[in-house]
Amino acid sequence: MLWLHLLVNGLVSGCALGMVAVSFSLIFATTKIFHVAHAGVYSMGGYLTWSALRHGAPEPLALLIGIVACGLLGALIQKLLYERLARSGATHLVVLIASLGASAVLQNIIAGVYTSNVLRFALPWADRTVPIGGVLLSMTQIVTVGIGLATYAGVMWFAHRTGLGKRMRAVASNPFLAEITRLNPRDVHVVVVALGSAIVCLPGALVPLDLGLQPFGGVPMLLTATIAMIAGGVGSISGAFVLAVAIAVLQNLSLLVMPGEWSIGVTFFVFVIFMLFRPRGLFAT
Amino acid sequence: MARNRRFWLAGALAGACVALGAAAQAQPIRLGAVLPLTGPAAVVGSQEQRGIQFALLHANAKGGIAGRQIEMLFEDNQAKPDQSVLSFNKLVDLQGVPAVITGFSGPTLAMAPLATRKKVLLVNGGAQADPLAKASPYLVNTIPVLAGELEVLANYVLHDAGKKTAAILFENDAAGISGRDDFAASYTAAGGKIVAQEPIAFGDTNYRPVLLKLAAAQPDMLFVILTAGVSPLADQIRQIDAKFTVVGNTFFSDPEVVANPNAEGWIHSQVLINAPDSLAAEFKKTYGTEFDFFPKQYYNATNIVLACVERLLKEGKPLTGENLRAALFAIKTFDGLTRVVFNNNTADTQVNINRMQAKTDAIIKVIPPKQ
Repeated sequence: MLWLHLLVNGLVSGCALGMVAVSFSLIFATTKIFHVAHAGVYSMGGYLTWSALRHGAPEPLALLIGIVACGLLGALIQKLLYERLARSGATHLVVLIASLGASAVLQNIIAGVYTSNVLRFALPWADRTVPIGGVLLSMTQIVTVGIGLATYAGVMWFAHRTGLGKRMRAVASNPFLAEITRLNPRDVHVVVVALGSAIVCLPGALVPLDLGLQPFGGVPMLLTATIAMIAGGVGSISGAFVLAVAIAVLQNLSLLVMPGEWSIGVTFFVFVIFMLFRPRGLFAT
Repeated sequence: MARNRRFWLAGALAGACVALGAAAQAQPIRLGAVLPLTGPAAVVGSQEQRGIQFALLHANAKGGIAGRQIEMLFEDNQAKPDQSVLSFNKLVDLQGVPAVITGFSGPTLAMAPLATRKKVLLVNGGAQADPLAKASPYLVNTIPVLAGELEVLANYVLHDAGKKTAAILFENDAAGISGRDDFAASYTAAGGKIVAQEPIAFGDTNYRPVLLKLAAAQPDMLFVILTAGVSPLADQIRQIDAKFTVVGNTFFSDPEVVANPNAEGWIHSQVLINAPDSLAAEFKKTYGTEFDFFPKQYYNATNIVLACVERLLKEGKPLTGENLRAALFAIKTFDGLTRVVFNNNTADTQVNINRMQAKTDAIIKVIPPKQ
């Protein structure tokens, strides 16, 4: 039954990764900015939630504080960094480097304030396990799946059913037309980066609840999420989420036939081959 | 008139010589340290740095050595071998330091040939990969390499604890691979059987997939060699309801791990290093963190270097790497936070076998150092 345990573990990890991929996809599709600082926002979300808990806030409130703070942080990054760079005519490469710099600054602030030690949330309920279909799942894993699926559904609803969501898609599809039709792309960019940053706080808090907090934990997560977004088709929320789950499942199941050190390499090799045949991604829009 | 002028000239020259001598006397003693101060390994590197700083704080508060303050020049290597080489060269060639304190097996091994070529004392206070023992005549390890420690552990778990089959979870770096090989060699030589092994990347705390695979092999025990992230491992082992006993080495001696109820019953070897309560309290007051294993080791390693410096200054010998190395072997036994004996380049110290129970790390067997 090892395969079943690994499959379920992959699905759980995939839900967390899916939230990162969806939030990154929202930002990239709309702003065309390769927002590497998202890794720093992800880490910041976990640490802010942890701090709120340490100061006595109940779990939902602590998470809400983290979400709001990350949203504001994202809006600040867009307003003070990306928007200024856009005004000064910076190239994509310059914006990418600036984003990398912002990510490094955020991670180093975290390391400076909280130290680089692995911090635990140590919430008694999070450690409890529940047997489901012959597989033991921790409460953290169950909550992660629930919130992951709800986030995916929520983002889909927001993008397709709300006015702001439609504006966002319009800006993503044709920024020039959006500008002349007074959709205010700059305002939309701020809202989208804030929204994506608020969303990434969820996995930023839930993953460390299970694995511990580390200042640099966001980087590998973002790298994998980026691949999921590209393989899923840039601009496709479903593509990003489904491919994130697929990557996580593949990484887990690969352990059945090879040592763990090969799983990431082999998984990405499979996706490189996949991209050769479908370069625009699985759910290209 | 001419005699008078000569007298004043001689006086002025003598005064200048005294002043210059005093200035040289007052010049700080500069030593170097190459540690990971940023990046994922900074979790350990910053602890090591605090240990060094704490030792210097004490030494300088006492007036330094022979009236000279000691200054440590820190270089950040991010635990990368290539960066370590650059840092080492910078400290030695530009700053002229005679000794460099460092850690982490890969970076230390990268700097070892340079230490030999430039005759600079390279002091490793925390890394334990076996190749460190013979990497350079100028590399001294103030902590035993893994082979000796794990031989003791392998024999204990097999013969005393009766664990006949083992799985191994190791960090995929020089120290982890060395630990895996050492444990497997000692354990199988003693009659045990390794039934599975899996690597994990440094800093990766998502152990669950590999734990599920290792647990499926149904070993009596799981030998773990990780330098960080042991507490999340304890949580995840409990969550998968694993039946094996968890066994590790000195890297387990993290107060957070000991305090974690999920680590109850874990067994580990422990290179002995103790600090008096007053010293631990002073450290916590100064840095706001516990006086854990790595700060203690680097406090000790720094004091070993300072003892060698003091001996050279007393003997009036120049502060060179070669002389420092000679002084270290001349002193041979250092009684600091633990007794360290240098029979060769690698220290012999006491190794204990500990069991974590009721949130304490209880000693269950003692193996004294070789004299």
